[in-house]
Amino acid sequence: MRIPRGALLRSRVVDDPSEVLETVLDERLTGYVVFEPQDALLLGEATRGVVTFEDGIPVLAYDTERDCGGRDGLDGFAVTGPNRVTVHAVDADALAEAHETVEFRVPPGEPARTLAGDERLAERTTAEAPESRRAEGRDQSSVEAFLADAEAIEAIRSEAREEARARAEEWGLDDVLTDQSDSAFGE
Amino acid sequence: MVEAFAVASGKGGTGKTTSTLALGMALAEEYDVTVIDADTGMANLLFHAGLDDADVTLHDLLVEDRDASVEDAVYERFGMSVVPCGTSLAAFEAADPTRLRDVVAELARDTDVLLLDSPAALGSKSAVLPIVLADRIVVVLQPTVPSLSDGLKVQEYAHSYGTDTAGVVFNRVRPDEDVDRIAEQASRYFGGQTLASVPESDAVRAARRAGEPLLAHAPDDAAADAFREAAARLDVRDGDGRDVAERFKRAVVPDRV
Repeated sequence: MRIPRGALLRSRVVDDPSEVLETVLDERLTGYVVFEPQDALLLGEATRGVVTFEDGIPVLAYDTERDCGGRDGLDGFAVTGPNRVTVHAVDADALAEAHETVEFRVPPGEPARTLAGDERLAERTTAEAPESRRAEGRDQSSVEAFLADAEAIEAIRSEAREEARARAEEWGLDDVLTDQSDSAFGE
Repeated sequence: MVEAFAVASGKGGTGKTTSTLALGMALAEEYDVTVIDADTGMANLLFHAGLDDADVTLHDLLVEDRDASVEDAVYERFGMSVVPCGTSLAAFEAADPTRLRDVVAELARDTDVLLLDSPAALGSKSAVLPIVLADRIVVVLQPTVPSLSDGLKVQEYAHSYGTDTAGVVFNRVRPDEDVDRIAEQASRYFGGQTLASVPESDAVRAARRAGEPLLAHAPDDAAADAFREAAARLDVRDGDGRDVAERFKRAVVPDRV
């Protein structure tokens, strides 16, 4: 995904990501914020994520290190502790194309919820989002549909089992593997 | 008597560390509880337990020819024995996570319940070691597709190593979510029982900022109640501490990750 380079507005270290999310909401920022968790940096793990905004409302989230976006992307840089945040402004037209990357879109309140655990700010952000975006959010029916799809779930589980076994051999843990080839729980 | 639980989620942001300390404090009402920050690459528990300035941490126990004894890294806090992990890069690099086995075996001798706060990853030997070493896992989930999917993966890894599922905690549940229905569906795939549905709460963040576990910071909060309920449902099994220590010793792996 390409996000057009913006004008740097400010860069600072914050203890709580909700500070910057709330500020850009108040400012109605159109642009993006780069989050770099500092504790991860200390441990030599590069963790970095970007959230884009339109009129202060989050649109996309993207984990630049793991190359994944949307909610999964957000989870990648949701790390407790101080963050260096860098705020950039971008012209709305320049961002429009990137904002069409549907798979990287997040519900308006999701960054506040995931990065900061701030339900109140998540609700406020959702309330201030355009009408068309307010309904986005956790969709209970999609969770229920996922859990109802026994075949898809078995596929996830059997893939994880195979991966666990392959890695156990790679890590020299194969002597502690159990012999069970069937899942212990199932329908 | 001892049983070791790995508190696992597969993904960050589910509130695993909060859950570990909350379950630990609730179980400490009845049991002698030791909580270990087994997330050696992304230490976090120390911030939640007011141990930011701990001199000796798990890292010091994972180095070759260590000077520190295991008890030097054990801090009595909030009615539990807490073994934090440090945040220094040098210490992390010097540490050999596979030594965790010996540390856990030693701690298992003198406690009823061991809780291992596990890494939110499955990509390395050190990340899976806590679920290999534990008797059972407690899976912390959010009622979302990515979280459930990752929880299933962690569970498969655990089962591959003969580690069963003690139960599932649904955490950070929003008021508009009907977790009962999701939990009922999920129970077909997850072992153990649904231990609790913990509501999203501002008190969790406030507790983290104060450097206190939720149950110490906001004992009357609805989330704290839910964690106590989860702990009450957890059927801690009797075991012989020596057997467990012995099993840990046999369990794993000489070489470095």
